[in-house]
Amino acid sequence: MSANGKPKIAFFDFTSCEGCQLTVVDSLQDHPELLNAVEIVQFREAMSEKGEDYQIAFIEGSCTRQSDEARLKAIREQASIVIALGACAHLAGVNALKALHPLEDVRKYVYGDKWEWYETYDARPIEAVIPVDFAIPGCPIDRNEFIAVVKALLLGKKPPIPDYPVCVECRLKENICMYTKGKVCLGPVTRAGCGAICPTYGSSCEACRGFITNPNQDSMKDVLEEAGLSVEDITAIYTMFTTYQVREKLLQKG
Amino acid sequence: MSLTILPKPAFQEFVSRMLADYRVAGPTPKNGAYVFEEIHDASELRMDYPTTLLPPKKFLLPTREVLFKYTRQNGGVLQDPPESPPTVILGVHTCDLHAIQLLDTVFSSGQYDLHYMNRRKKTLIISIECLNPCDEHSFCKSMGTLTADEGYDLHLTDLGDRYAVDIGTQAGEQLLAKYANARAADKEDIQQLNAVISAKWPKFPYRLDFDVSELPSILELSMKSPLWQELGDRCLACAACTNVCPTCFCFDVKDEVELNLVDGQRVRQWDSCQLDEFATVAGGHNFRASRALRQRHRFMRKGKYILDAHKHLGCVGCGRCARACIVDITPVGVFNELYRQQEAGS
Amino acid sequence: MVAIASYPQTQVIPNFERDIYLPYLAKIVDIRPMTALEKVFTIELPNGMSLGHRPGQFMEVSVFGVGEAPISISSSPSRSNGTFELCVRKVGDVTTALHNLKPGDKVGLRGPFGRGFPYENFRGKDILFVPGGLGLAPLRSLINQVLDERAHYGRVIILYGARNPGELLFKDELKAWGEREDVELHVTVDRGDETWTGNVGVVTTLFKHISIYPRNTVGITCGPPVMYRFVLMEFFGKGISEGNIYLSLERRMKCGVGKCGHCQINNIYACQSGPVFSYREIKGLEEAL
Repeated sequence: MSANGKPKIAFFDFTSCEGCQLTVVDSLQDHPELLNAVEIVQFREAMSEKGEDYQIAFIEGSCTRQSDEARLKAIREQASIVIALGACAHLAGVNALKALHPLEDVRKYVYGDKWEWYETYDARPIEAVIPVDFAIPGCPIDRNEFIAVVKALLLGKKPPIPDYPVCVECRLKENICMYTKGKVCLGPVTRAGCGAICPTYGSSCEACRGFITNPNQDSMKDVLEEAGLSVEDITAIYTMFTTYQVREKLLQKG
Repeated sequence: MSLTILPKPAFQEFVSRMLADYRVAGPTPKNGAYVFEEIHDASELRMDYPTTLLPPKKFLLPTREVLFKYTRQNGGVLQDPPESPPTVILGVHTCDLHAIQLLDTVFSSGQYDLHYMNRRKKTLIISIECLNPCDEHSFCKSMGTLTADEGYDLHLTDLGDRYAVDIGTQAGEQLLAKYANARAADKEDIQQLNAVISAKWPKFPYRLDFDVSELPSILELSMKSPLWQELGDRCLACAACTNVCPTCFCFDVKDEVELNLVDGQRVRQWDSCQLDEFATVAGGHNFRASRALRQRHRFMRKGKYILDAHKHLGCVGCGRCARACIVDITPVGVFNELYRQQEAGS
Repeated sequence: MVAIASYPQTQVIPNFERDIYLPYLAKIVDIRPMTALEKVFTIELPNGMSLGHRPGQFMEVSVFGVGEAPISISSSPSRSNGTFELCVRKVGDVTTALHNLKPGDKVGLRGPFGRGFPYENFRGKDILFVPGGLGLAPLRSLINQVLDERAHYGRVIILYGARNPGELLFKDELKAWGEREDVELHVTVDRGDETWTGNVGVVTTLFKHISIYPRNTVGITCGPPVMYRFVLMEFFGKGISEGNIYLSLERRMKCGVGKCGHCQINNIYACQSGPVFSYREIKGLEEAL
């Protein structure tokens, strides 16, 4: 806690596009009063000062190399609350796609003949390295949800991240269901909170917010098959943001 | 009460005049479908719409509403009297009219829900007779909702170039007197009304294989039907069925607070018995953890529980849930299958 | 599914003025820590009002900004001098926020709600109380009511089980009950510790210590969901009739006024027809136990 009684918060980035931190900057512009409630001590995207005395750490990005683990552990050591910010930190997100190819191929493809210079391993969500208290899902995060989470934390409440599917928000917005339009969509198994933004603008849900707690994946798969999708198509849809989770599940099943 | 006639140009005029004093909502096109929306010009209306995505319920029980405001500073509750503008809902089909009558009963009986009822008292309903089935999913004729003799303030029947207007309440009569140039129906109007009505009934098929009066007992005997597990296996628990339902009224209540952490409001929003967390208590136990039991609960409410409690069936046959279900769980399919299982068993 | 439609509902006279969702404010006058997870709150109603509750009823308690939660009343009407008590386990957002409050702070209240125990009908009978864990909180309300009009009842037997000695609630009262000659108290814990010299085992293991006259005994239980079936078997095993067994059932009573749907047990709203039921009333309800 700082002298003025405001909790100190810090932002950190790992492997990501930094779009979620950009969304945070955006929400600060909409809600400058947030700065009356918290003190930001570290936020590379937005300021040059760097304080190491913080209680709440927001981490964007997935962990994609061994050497990042120490930095994550140091953050965990300092912060009383660690929050994964966005799909990369929450799920490993699109970064985990590289796990579908031999690592050496990926390294050569990205770094060419210098591939051995750059360290990397399979991308993983932050919670695979350190305990994470909460996650703000999404690619990118939803700015209103970010504010709602900060408010909940300040009140000592569990962040209000929904555990129901995107379809709930989509139906209440009176969107035409993607399936009615003859398209497929992962809305029925994906965690809401985004306001069904993709279907609202005509794109199918790709599960960037991860799955609800008890998704009916068997039935979802049947629906996709009935829509004419091949196993490869279905795999492609499911691996956009949730490669890490799908692989973990397969590993559990053996 | 009595029948009057409103030529279609006079109907447009009627709507335009009401717009000056009322919030007017009615069926309007949206992305190739139809929705009940507040209109600002009579030309936005499509009175011959087949069905809407959400029912007109949303004007009486909004998807989200503030119950009251509070301030955390001295623990004070600031009552925010539920205010809603005087509203006219136009073009309500008779299935939805039956649903609103149920909602009226639910929110006015037992503990009186001031929020719903204040809005309801300020709302006038102008319904319209369906002359053609909206699609293969509606089963209003089986449910006895293909027409209605009460629940509306004014009821329209399209006679081509004019509407026959049936006056249902004194408020409707006053509305018509103040805002419309209607004339009394003559013999020819009544003849045509008769012709239109008798022409419509054969167009609507019965879709249930049994009489609706048997539905509660069919359901009562179906508690252990294997069908529920089959539905549970298919159901995605996406809650589309309950969210588009004109009779569903379950809700959740949440506190919201401003960033000053002092001022806030308690909010009520639609909830669904199909969602995983619906019957979960704070300690974590879920009293309806399986999708099969949640589907059973949904259909039991529709065809039995709500009837027991409120003397109205909880399903009006509008077909919205069937249209919305990605995995083709339909009330007609479910009710007919339960009937078939019982016939086969007896 | 027998005779459900005719199940007695709480009779409510509609009040067209009052907002049923609007809480009133009341002051916390005392907070007693009880275990690592439970505290007992003494709450004073405004203007010297009396709660006028029945044992077994519950309140909807608000911490504004956090939300509202249903909490059973654990004090007896016989001991409410303008105050009442709630024994609150820290388990969700609202209860955590309650635990952070101090005497003098205000909470929002609605209620009392639901149907409590028809204790007048128990007069002249022996009563066998079987609380498990936090289930003692609502039953304490009834136990103290019965003890305060002790002469009206026959034997009072209490079989109380908790997971471990540290989770036993109302230890001072347990001690006092144990010392009374007109109360038969048996306590057990699932797992003992180095200080524990009493019974070890789940609450149903205590039934072997008692013998009862079944025709004149009322069996009453409240506890975690898993407990009911086992306690019922013991009640039946002792020969207590279905109409003389009473259970208080936990559900998610969100609105408390029979609208929101969360507490439904088949066609019954637990917040209106319960949370207290006789076994005869619920035995046909698939979702009750």
